[in-house]
Amino acid sequence: MVIADRLSARLVGAVTRPGRLGALGGPALWALFFLILLVPIGLFLLVAVSPAIVGQGRAWLTFANFATALQGQTLQGLVDSLVVSATTAVISVAVALGLAWLVQRTTIPGRGLWTLLVWVVLLTPSFLVSLGWERLLEPDGILVHLGVPTTGIANVFFGPVGVVFVLTTKGVPFAYFAISAALGALGREFEDAARTHGAGRWAALRLVLPILAPAFWSALAIVFAETISDFGVATTIAATANFPIATQTLFNAVDNFPANFPVAAAVGWLLVGSVGLALVAQSRALRGRSYQVLSGRTRPSVRVRLGRRGRALALTAMGAFFGLSLGVPFAGALSASLVKPTASSITWNSLTLANYATVLHHPTLLGPLGLSAALACVAATVAVVVGVIVARTLTRRRAGPSARVLDLLLLATVGLPGIVLGAGYIFAYNLPWLNDIGIHLYGTLILLDMAYLANTVPSTTRLLVGPMAQVQFGLHDAARVHGSGGLRAWRTTVVPLLSRSLLWAWLFGFTGILFELPISQLLYPPGQETLAVAINAAFANYSYAPGTTLMVVSVGFAVIVVGVVLLLFRIGAPRGWQRVGSAR
Amino acid sequence: MRQAFRSHRTLVGVAGALTAAAIAVTALATLPRIAGSQRAILTSRAHVAKVPLIVYSAQGYDMNVVKAFQRATGIPTELVCDSTGPLLARISAQRNNPQWGLLWVDGNQPFAALDQQGLMLRGFEPSVPWNATADKLIPADKSFVPTGITIAATLIYNRKKVADPPTDFRQLLLPKYRGLLGMNNPSISGPTYPYVSGLMAYLGGVTQGERFLLQLKANGLHIFPTNGNTLHALQIGQIGMATIQSSAIIGAIEQNPAWGISFFKGVTLLPSNIGIDPKAPAAEVAEAKRFATYVLSPAGQHQMLIGDPHGDSNFWPVLRGESPRRGMPTLSSVPYQVTNPYLWGPREPAINSWFTTHMVQ
Repeated sequence: MVIADRLSARLVGAVTRPGRLGALGGPALWALFFLILLVPIGLFLLVAVSPAIVGQGRAWLTFANFATALQGQTLQGLVDSLVVSATTAVISVAVALGLAWLVQRTTIPGRGLWTLLVWVVLLTPSFLVSLGWERLLEPDGILVHLGVPTTGIANVFFGPVGVVFVLTTKGVPFAYFAISAALGALGREFEDAARTHGAGRWAALRLVLPILAPAFWSALAIVFAETISDFGVATTIAATANFPIATQTLFNAVDNFPANFPVAAAVGWLLVGSVGLALVAQSRALRGRSYQVLSGRTRPSVRVRLGRRGRALALTAMGAFFGLSLGVPFAGALSASLVKPTASSITWNSLTLANYATVLHHPTLLGPLGLSAALACVAATVAVVVGVIVARTLTRRRAGPSARVLDLLLLATVGLPGIVLGAGYIFAYNLPWLNDIGIHLYGTLILLDMAYLANTVPSTTRLLVGPMAQVQFGLHDAARVHGSGGLRAWRTTVVPLLSRSLLWAWLFGFTGILFELPISQLLYPPGQETLAVAINAAFANYSYAPGTTLMVVSVGFAVIVVGVVLLLFRIGAPRGWQRVGSAR
Repeated sequence: MRQAFRSHRTLVGVAGALTAAAIAVTALATLPRIAGSQRAILTSRAHVAKVPLIVYSAQGYDMNVVKAFQRATGIPTELVCDSTGPLLARISAQRNNPQWGLLWVDGNQPFAALDQQGLMLRGFEPSVPWNATADKLIPADKSFVPTGITIAATLIYNRKKVADPPTDFRQLLLPKYRGLLGMNNPSISGPTYPYVSGLMAYLGGVTQGERFLLQLKANGLHIFPTNGNTLHALQIGQIGMATIQSSAIIGAIEQNPAWGISFFKGVTLLPSNIGIDPKAPAAEVAEAKRFATYVLSPAGQHQMLIGDPHGDSNFWPVLRGESPRRGMPTLSSVPYQVTNPYLWGPREPAINSWFTTHMVQ
């Protein structure tokens, strides 16, 4: 660590600045967060202690809702969520480190394909992954039809083990992008310096790994927060196994009649508190050190040349991961979408393409896909722009207390399920006095997209924090000193270094919004169903095959968008942009 | 340093501009729809003031009915179609400033509870030829109107697994049915609560009902989150029979001849109802009344019957002269009961909590 710090200071010349309000992005940024995050979430959480404030009870000050939340199934759900999220975060980071190392630092064949597949895993809804596994392992499922008994493994899988497993496959991409950007961008100068000074391969590794600490901690924090707020697994495998999870108990408090917003808000407080602990752990681990190593002079890293045996092992590991995280769910979902609704078992005669014909020729099913894609495009673009500024603010070495507040706010938002934002937006933007002064935001696409933005900014920011922490702003400052304008300096020095991460962050925001359900359910304007609402409605009306088919079609659409955007980047972006962070 | 700060401010400015641009794009995308509504208001004002009627519905046939209603009346009608839970959550969250006009979901307990909170328009009853069953369902204060009838839950069974299905709830405790029965969790599946509370009412009260449910659990009862999971468990052979809503059963049986239906003695009626927001503008309240009246007209009933043939269209009409879909048994052959929503509605949180603690965990 001492060597790392010395190298960081001498070789790289880290630039640090004192934190100040202006450096936080200014009043405009705070105003934006005030409107899209603080007010709605604050109002929702306030309901826990003061239900009367938005007409959800008579008490103006009470703590009884916390007592209710801390007993019975809600308490059990919270404990389960904490254990599941912590376990998932650690396993995800370990798996992601292996994947990132293979892709970024070895000569494993098909590196572009593996990166693309990580993206496909990230954009695949956890609901779909759960559905696929259920189709595989259930009685009379695919494996049983293939003559493989599943009773034993099903008993283990449909419970905490399966929940952690599916959430890990969903968590790995978050960790992967946080780690791989850092691993890929870490030039070979540190290893070279260490080796020159007599360090062996192991000692060089011990030097390099601590430099990646921001990425590890960022990965742990984001996976923990994303997992604790996951809704797809909570409502599928966990619900079927009667394994209570906090997001499910929070949702039930709102979804049951009469809706109990105060208890839901109390659960929200506890989730925020849990994520706050993760954030404290992260900031303590990174306090007082600089990890800025990425610059225009960064030398491409050297890949470990794999022998025939090593290549076979690496490909097997990759195949196993993507087979489990993608192959199984897609096989399950595809089989579900191809089976006739009348079929009680899966045979060749029970297969049909009729469900696809229904979806493709039914405007009420395809319309929501177009609407969600447009809303996702807008919100993801804004989220990336805001995310860059916030990530820069958070990665300043001596960021002030306001930056820490901002960090807590953002990560807490990741940790809160979408339904909190949905309800909070109704509380905040359906106030009678707003209507009186002529503001009618509730029931419009604008408010829905604002909520999407609020739900996306924290995650995209977290994805960008790792890479941003490694950008040397000396290059930017040099450009400014030499007379470059502010925007030009960013465009020519920082954007090239971050271009890949920005691209990934946008795609992540886009796909996340495309399949967003809880916020949409509470905020979608009359007559304008979003994609997830349409899919959910199909399932609610027992139209399972069309519902699954629409989901498969939508995932296919998302994959095409990802492919097109990556292709455009390859064709249109300057070669220098593409070279940064790549390895020879 | 100052320059760096300035560049940051430039970036913030650009971010702000981009944000504004993005919002403007969304606004432009929304504008035609808003403008369309406004036009409808302006062009019609010369004749009768028309405002958009906002319909919150969880019915599978609602889109058909809404379109037919718009064609018939010219009233711009906008639909929020979702499951009952999220719709009621929306209404609860909007309590200070309601934005809905008409609610159309299954179950009379939510309507009774909303009525007790002053969120239902009272004193409205369309002038239609109610049948005898409907007369039992209309509340004294006329705060909601029934539009169709289903059974909260009765038995669906797989003939290959259950040769002689039970005909009474108590027979479910027989050893030969051990491990075969599945049901929904009422704390997740909202419409399951009327079944659980109806069962308790039939057995003599909450205590007797809880004892019976614990005996069911001891006999291997499987509990799934929602209808979908329960039907799927039946499909894959995890269970041999299940208690779910009659409309879902009849729709499923049409697609799978191996499945049968059995109506237990004492099953509970689950009507679909319409209620109107008392705080809605007068014009919207008038339109909502027209909507309810249209639903109960022969044209509206026809749309309900053809709109969701594998699900909600399998209901019994509440009107004289109307018939259910072909193949449905007559309601008079079903030994049903009607429960008091004003008595059982307020007990929902306590009973669901008990169910979660003692049945699920």
